[in-house]
Amino acid sequence: MPPAITADRLSKTFQVKVRDPGLRGALQALLKPRYRDVHAVREVTFNIDPGEIVAFLGPNGAGKTTTLKMLAGLLYPTSGRVAVAGFTPWGSGSEFKRRIALVLGNRQQLVWDLPPEETFQLNRAIYDIAEPDYRERLAELVALLELGDLLAKPVRQLSLGERMKCELAAALLHRPPILFLDEPTLGLDVTAQEAIRRFLTQYRDRHGATVLLTSHYMQDVTALATRVLIINRGQLLYDGALAALVARIARTKRIELVLADGVTADALAAFGDVKEFRFPNAVLEVPREEAAATSARLLAALPVADLSIEDPPIEDVIRLAFAHGVAEDD
Amino acid sequence: MSRVAEWGRRYAALIRNAWLVDLQYRASIVLWLLWGVTEPAVALGIWWAIAGDGQVAGYARADFARYFFALMLVNQLTIAWDSWYLDGWIREGELNFRLARPLHPAHEAVAENIAYKARTAGMILVVWLVVSLVWPAVRLPLAPGRWALTAAAVLLAAAMRFFISFTTGLLAFWTTRATAIMELHAGVSLFLSGRLAPLALLPPAVASAAALSWFPYMLAFPVELLTGAAQSTAIVKGFAGQLAWLGVWIAAYHLTWTRGLRRYGAVGG
Amino acid sequence: MRNAEFQWRVVPRGQARGTKPIMTFRIPHSALRILAALWRLNLAEELQYRANFVASVLGTLFWIVTALLTLAVFFSHTTRLGGWDYWEVVVLLGVFNALTGVIEAVLRPGIGRLAGEVRSGGLDLVLAKPVDPQAFVSFRRLDIWRLTDVVLGLALAGYALHRLGRVPSFAQLAAFGLALAAAAVVVYALWVVLMSLAFWFVSVENLSVLFDAVYEGARYPVSAYPEALRFLFVYLIPIAWTTTIPASALTGRLGPEIGLVAALVAGVALALARLVWRTALKRYTGASG
Repeated sequence: MPPAITADRLSKTFQVKVRDPGLRGALQALLKPRYRDVHAVREVTFNIDPGEIVAFLGPNGAGKTTTLKMLAGLLYPTSGRVAVAGFTPWGSGSEFKRRIALVLGNRQQLVWDLPPEETFQLNRAIYDIAEPDYRERLAELVALLELGDLLAKPVRQLSLGERMKCELAAALLHRPPILFLDEPTLGLDVTAQEAIRRFLTQYRDRHGATVLLTSHYMQDVTALATRVLIINRGQLLYDGALAALVARIARTKRIELVLADGVTADALAAFGDVKEFRFPNAVLEVPREEAAATSARLLAALPVADLSIEDPPIEDVIRLAFAHGVAEDD
Repeated sequence: MSRVAEWGRRYAALIRNAWLVDLQYRASIVLWLLWGVTEPAVALGIWWAIAGDGQVAGYARADFARYFFALMLVNQLTIAWDSWYLDGWIREGELNFRLARPLHPAHEAVAENIAYKARTAGMILVVWLVVSLVWPAVRLPLAPGRWALTAAAVLLAAAMRFFISFTTGLLAFWTTRATAIMELHAGVSLFLSGRLAPLALLPPAVASAAALSWFPYMLAFPVELLTGAAQSTAIVKGFAGQLAWLGVWIAAYHLTWTRGLRRYGAVGG
Repeated sequence: MRNAEFQWRVVPRGQARGTKPIMTFRIPHSALRILAALWRLNLAEELQYRANFVASVLGTLFWIVTALLTLAVFFSHTTRLGGWDYWEVVVLLGVFNALTGVIEAVLRPGIGRLAGEVRSGGLDLVLAKPVDPQAFVSFRRLDIWRLTDVVLGLALAGYALHRLGRVPSFAQLAAFGLALAAAAVVVYALWVVLMSLAFWFVSVENLSVLFDAVYEGARYPVSAYPEALRFLFVYLIPIAWTTTIPASALTGRLGPEIGLVAALVAGVALALARLVWRTALKRYTGASG
């Protein structure tokens, strides 16, 4: 089966105006503008098969959203090839747009002043969904996303998490084979994030949809995607299973503590590398394999009010990946 | 499913949504309507004072009253605010999801126009009917042929003003001052489209210049049709002008859209 | 026209201010310091955007040219408008423009935002501050570039006076200054009364449009309107006191004593506006007494 999404040395360069400060600079920018190149995406290459859930991971400004927009047909590449569902996204018409769904985390398509079901009906008309298909799909989405009584409330009365769930439902009524999600869990509380991740997995299992999501949350990846593309400064640093990457690169885990009582820095240092210590909060870094055991010892020996084991922040993993020069396919 | 039925379904859904949203904002809409009415009302007040018991270039007080009431109605039926919407969409990143779905964003704008105008024109019509009961000067002849012609002229004017507004809004692909350009256009149209005074009252040089532009076909021509001031040759010339300028603005829209989309694809939004 | 997305969080409502006397308008020193700090911040922000300055001046010049051309059209068919000569009406135009500057610089960015804040709950943040809410809401922002309208408006009025061949006496200038200040106060009072409606009609976002509609009539001398409207504009919605009266004081149409009358009218208007505001605010905060 041919891949659902193909990117071949995909690049995007923006030309940004250079402006010197001061009045003279302003005048020059107006009369004789100078530009510099910003290489947002550099020769990114990957293939995604139908039915995969892939996460695009990277810090802000890494080029994730720009790549996603090229796949969705909103931007055209400066060089390289891209194919989605057999189409070249840029310049493709309705036939292509019916095959995809684009959900942007910070901008919604739901009509703000009306209940979500009005937007659903609108999408039904836009995508020419037949009545029985519409009813069946809506019922399924309502069940999977637990939308229930949200449908009749105006969107502005919904919480951020509820809105996102309705956003997803609206985007999937036409059952596209390809989903592009840009930061879908941004700003949501933990329950809502988990609900959305659960939903995406179930949806993919049922319908074989290909899902590409961008995120800067590690949990999106660990819970959802088996495959991760790490992008930083426009370049693809890693393409493969996350577990392998973390296991190889992130050799440590962070133990975040909230202490109930006074403790000396030395006492903490006995358990691991003290990264931060400002009472009552402390952060220790310990080797990955020892994290669980060390936590147990900490709980037994010190007055700990709260303890959590975290992966190192994604920026650290990426810095490490960059520093170690991880090859693209592993 | 036939294409016509599909499009009918789409427009029905779009208009329904726009109508429901307007329903939520009906109080705000009444205020916008009030503001839209005060400009012609004040102009009428001044011409009323100037005309006194006599005439100004063939317009007596009653003629002015009829002209400005007709103007209020035609303006509400033809006005387009899409440049502000588009400017907002482009700058706030709300064009992205619209471009990713199989519906040209202009259809949403057209449907919104239809819903809004149906609501507000209805209001003005009611007010006009009530006023004409007590004030015979503003009553209109009821010849059905005349009404049909007026409806056609209003439709053409509304279409042209839509394309002017939409095209100007598309300039937001290139500049942050798209709305300023629209305001410039509105400032010029105050004179050349007859919002300040019937075109016959303008200095002859200005009126001739106006006749060479699209401005009279936005308002003055449909208004004069409605009040019965326009005669046979003027009517034919009027419709010819409307069709020609509508064509020009559709072409301008098409050019701006294709170029603008390409630029959007280059620099994003 | 459409409501943008608000993301304010609602905080507990501030203390009711039932103990303050109604008729005084004390502004404690601390309030002045707070306002001064706000204005300094605004200024620093705005000075970054020199383009705004140019755009503002160009916009005002365009408006002035449009208004002058409008007058030219009217005066091509008459020699007097409500008994006023062309250049006398231009003086009024200059006053209108100067007041527009005050409105756009101070009132619209300040109290003009009240409706949105009542709706979103942002007003509660204001009520929690140690400043009189009316003063804070009214004067918290200064769109400094719009003050160029004041300069251009007064310049236009001055030029028109010159074309009339009149040199105002000291008494006339003093009366004009007083009447102009009074006009600004009357405009402010109108804004306060109109914006107070936001406390009753919470869902209306564009209340400031109501002012624009009403104020449209101030572009021309009140004597140009029919009897009934004249009564309305002098005694009920006193926009005559905003442009017609100051212009009359400057051109000598009315004697210098009109300045004092204007001041009196402004005082009454301000007191009434304060009354309306406090009633509305009481209703909003649910206080009694």
